[in-house]
Order: sequence, then C-alpha cells, then structure tokens
Amino acid sequence: MAPLQTSPSTSIRVLLADDHTVMRNGLRLLLERQGDLTVMGEAADGRQAVDMAAAGNPDVVVMDIAMPQLNGVEATRQIVNRNPNTAIVILSMHSDESYVIRSLKAGARAYLLKDSAEADLISAIHAIIEGKSFFSPGVRRLLKEDYMRELADMGAEDTYELLTTREREVLQLVAEGKSNKEVANLLNLSLYTVETHRTHILQKLNLHSVPELILYAVRKGIIS
Amino acid sequence: MSLSQTLGSKVRTPGGRSLLIAGFGGLLLLMLAVGGYALQMFEQVRQSDAQERNVYLRRARSLESVRAGIYQSAIVMRDYLLAPDPDSAGKHFDEWTDIRGATDRAMLECASALDPAETVPFRNLQAEVQVYWKLLDFITELPPRNKHIHGAEFLSKEVVRHRTTMLNLVDRINEIDSRQMAAGDAKLNATFAMLRLRLMMMVAGTVAVGLLLAIFTMRRTLRLEHALELRYREVARARGELQDLSARLVSAQEEERRNISRELHDEVGQSLSALLMEAGNAAARVPLGSDEVRRHVESIKKLAEASVNVIRNMTLLLRPSMLDDFGLVPALEWQAREVSKRTGMRVHVTAPETPPELPDEHRTCIYRVVQEALHNCSRHAQARNVRVVVRPGGEKILLSVEDDGQGFDARRVRGLGLVGMQERVHHLGGTFEVQSAPGTGTRLAIELPLAS
Repeated sequence: MAPLQTSPSTSIRVLLADDHTVMRNGLRLLLERQGDLTVMGEAADGRQAVDMAAAGNPDVVVMDIAMPQLNGVEATRQIVNRNPNTAIVILSMHSDESYVIRSLKAGARAYLLKDSAEADLISAIHAIIEGKSFFSPGVRRLLKEDYMRELADMGAEDTYELLTTREREVLQLVAEGKSNKEVANLLNLSLYTVETHRTHILQKLNLHSVPELILYAVRKGIIS
Repeated sequence: MSLSQTLGSKVRTPGGRSLLIAGFGGLLLLMLAVGGYALQMFEQVRQSDAQERNVYLRRARSLESVRAGIYQSAIVMRDYLLAPDPDSAGKHFDEWTDIRGATDRAMLECASALDPAETVPFRNLQAEVQVYWKLLDFITELPPRNKHIHGAEFLSKEVVRHRTTMLNLVDRINEIDSRQMAAGDAKLNATFAMLRLRLMMMVAGTVAVGLLLAIFTMRRTLRLEHALELRYREVARARGELQDLSARLVSAQEEERRNISRELHDEVGQSLSALLMEAGNAAARVPLGSDEVRRHVESIKKLAEASVNVIRNMTLLLRPSMLDDFGLVPALEWQAREVSKRTGMRVHVTAPETPPELPDEHRTCIYRVVQEALHNCSRHAQARNVRVVVRPGGEKILLSVEDDGQGFDARRVRGLGLVGMQERVHHLGGTFEVQSAPGTGTRLAIELPLAS
C-alpha cells in the first residue's frame, strides 16, 4: 500500500480502508481536493486498517464495512479500543439500522452511505473532528421513517414527550458527541446534575448506552 | 415406469389367484363332505343298533312272561286242585284261563321278534306249550271227585316234567339270544372300526390337501412379501434420492444467491459508488461556464445513485448481508422491519437469549423458514400481528412463528411453501410442526438439533 505520508501539523490525517482500489482512488482524489485533509495511508482490508492505524495514529479513519479478513465494524472496535481519539467514519453500502447501531456501538461516530460520500464525506469528517456525530441524509431518513412507523404500529406513546425541556437539551448535546463536562459548561450546570439528567433520559427512553441514544436522536430527527 | 412394470408383473399372477380360490374351495368342500359322511354313518349305526336292541328286549321280555306264565299256571293249577269248595276252585280256574291267555300272547309276541337261529328251539317250545296246555285242560276236565287224588298225582308227575322241559327250552332260547346279542355287538364294533378307518383316511386326505395348499399359499405370500419389500426399498431409495436432490438444490440455490448477492454488492455496487465519486471529482474539475458538461456529469451521478439503490435492494432480497455479518437475529429483525414496511403487518421478533453462534446452514434454514412463513402470513392468512420467537433449548434451537390470521385446516392443506420449509428442516434433522384451524391463527414450530 501507499507509504505513510508526512503532512503539515494543521492538516487532518485520514486513513482510507476499503478493499476496492477504484473506491480508494476516488476517495483520495475527493479528500485531497480539500486543503486541510491528508490521506496518510490506504488499507485494503480490516486487519491492515487496524495495523496501519496503530502505527500511524490517524485523526480519522474512513472505513468500509464489507472487507475481507476483518470487517469494518470489528476493525473500528479494535482501533477505538487502542486509541479513543481516532474518529471513525463508516462508509457503507448498507442502510439498515443493524449496521448503524453496530457501527456506533463499535465506536464509530459517523455513518455514510457510499452513494452520498461525494456529497457528505467532507462535512462528516469535519463534524467528527469537532466531536459531533454525522449521518447520511439517506440513513437519517430511513431511520426516522422506520421509527415513525414503529411508533404508529405499536401504538406506543412517544417517550420523547416524557422528557423535560432541560433533559431534551442535554439529550441533544450528548447525542451530538459532547462530553458531560462540555454539556455542563454549555448549560451552566454542575457535572453531577448533567450526569443525573443523562441517567433519567436513558431510563425514560428505555435506552442502555450512548450509541443507542445517538441512534434514537437520529431517528427522532434531533440531530443531523 | 419400467420399475413399476417389472414389479407389477412379478406380483400379479392371475392363474395363481384362481388356483388359490379353487384350492381353498375344494378344501372346504372336502371338509364338509367328511363331516357329512361321518354324521350320516353314525346316525345309521345308531339306528340299526337301537332297533336290534329293541327286538332283543321285546323277545327277552316276552320270554320272561312265558316263563312266568308256565310257573304260575302250575301253581294256580295246584291251588285249583286243592280248593276246598267249588267257588274258590272256580276263581282259580278263571285265574288259570287269564294266565294261559297272557302266556299265549307272550308266545305270539316272542314269535314276531324271533331271530332265525332260534326258530327250531322256539318251535319245540310252542309244541311243548301246546302239550302242557292240553295236560292242564285234562286236569280241569277231571270229575270233581277224582280231581283231588288224580289231579295231584298228575300234576306232580307230568306237569312238572313238561314244565322243566319248557323252562330248559326257554333257557336255550335265551342263551341263543345272548349269543346273537354278542354277535350283534361284534358286528357293531366292526362297523365302527371300518367307519373310523374311512374317516381317518378322509381326514388324512383333507390334511394332505390342506398342507399342499398351505405350502402353495406360503410360497406365494413369501414371494409377494419379497416383491413388496423390493418395491418398498426402491421407493425409499427414490425418496431418499429425491430428498437429497432437493436438499442439494436448496443449498445450491442458497450458495448461488449468496454469490450473486456478494458479487452485486462487492463488485457492481462498489464500482457504481466509485463511479459516483469519480463523477463528483470530474464535476469539481469542470471549468466554470461549461454548464452543459456539468449537467451531463450531474445526470451520470443521478443514474449511478439510482443504480446503487437498485443493487442494494437486490442484494438484500437475494440474501441479506446481516445474516453473514451479524448473525440470525439482526437479519430476522431487518426482515421484520421490511415486511412491516411493505405490508403493514406488525412483525415482532423476540430472541430472549441470544442464540449461540449458529452454523451457517441453521442460520439460513431458520431465516428462510421465517421468510416463507411471513410471506404466508401476509399473503394467505391476512394476519395483523406476527410473533417470531427464537431461543436455544438444550442441544437444540427452537423457532416459533405465530400469527392472528384466519388460519387453515392444518391436516389437509399442505401448500408448496410448507413442504419446502419442512424439507429444509428435515434435512437438518429437525422437526416441523404446524398448528392451525380455520379462525384460530397459525402457529409454526420448528426444532433444529445443534451438531456438537
């Protein structure tokens, strides 16, 4: 694969992981049109992506899911475990929520469909560098539609109505990727109060983890 | 065709059947004949024996009466002679006349029941009796004065002698009678012996015919059994081959779907995605002012986008990638969502305990069974709610699909879908059960053993 490249310290270092050369070439062209992005390497499978991420500590990994050796979800889990500061953008053909939730649980913060890469990848990379989440409009639409239909089907009351205004604010900030401390600073609350709000939100919405909370926020259309 | 023909010709032998009927019919007739003959013979023997005994009894009785008459007449005659007055003499005389009459009747009776061998002694007896009567007549004709002296003398001289002769004759006749009786018994025994021999021969004949028939029937039955077993084995083998073939077809189809799905996704889909991106890259390099080129590039992007969507849907329909990427439950959940979206039917998937890592064959089997079942629920049952439950149970994995649709008669209806599901399940050694009745919804339960 292409050797690791040195780049200016201000630039965002990106690792591409996709088993298709044409795809990688296209992505490289796309990213390098931007001044602040540098492609520091290309991996052709999940195993290689993990190795190269460990060796090069990229800021962002653009990860395909369907790859030989090790799939993108597993590779994401391993990379994030080793270096939580590495932000992962999943770039996949799959639009189903089983892929989205598994990617989020593995530690990815953005989920893009391949057909929207050209339009959204740059925004996604910038968003996750700032600690936010990002989802393709197509994915957002699908998740939201499914959620609305499920609500209608089950005739269940919308648990969002149970949240207080303050809790809704906290929910949005957490879903956008803010840490408890950042939320506390933004809303002028104590860290303890923010933690309490978070616990209440998860209880009221019957959720068990931050990735589930993010998925919920996307489904509800709270974040984009 | 050729199989059933060869087997058919082996089994069907029309000659054999009529032979069997004739054999059994003949045997039955023979048994009836033997029974009838025996009954008839016994009846005959019984009748002739009874007749003979009857004659003997009559003769014996009459001879007894004759003997008694002879004795009594002598006694009555003595009383007559010793009678003190004419009155009592007259009474004794009357008595004697009665006895004489009775004895004569007994003699006649005896004559009617006489055996040829007894003719001579009986004729002598008759003669003696006549003489005896004359002697007694002579006594009664004596003048009353002489009657005491002469009568008593005569009585003790002549009458007693004659009486002894007669009684001897009666005894002889009796003796002959006994001999005749013994001879009759011997004849009867001989008749019985002959009858027994004849019966035994007939029974032996019947048994022989029966035995032949039994051997014939047994051989025929064995041959039929053999042919039947051949045919059964043939059918079982054909069935096994068919099942094998269908299992191979199913797995070949599954493999094909997987390959096409992967090919579409990995090659066509990715290439289209890359094309989309390259179009974007090209668009970025289009110089300002070349609007026509930009429009063309935009059109290329739209086409590629639409194609990517088509490819995505196709790959999922062929074989959902979650099945291979994440396992059974996510794939089932995806399917439930898709079916709900498409049909409006509420599908709920529950997997209380996450099933252990399932072999690919099991995953595929359960996935396809659920797919087919959901198809039935929406297409035929008009169900509103469907509940899919997957859970591990010991060395097995259990699946149930329940709907609240209109149901059907599970004993009669066996649609092609059900047969296909059953084939898949049986191929993995599992059990397949459908509970349904019109108006009660349908419950489908399968159990798949997990190979250790």
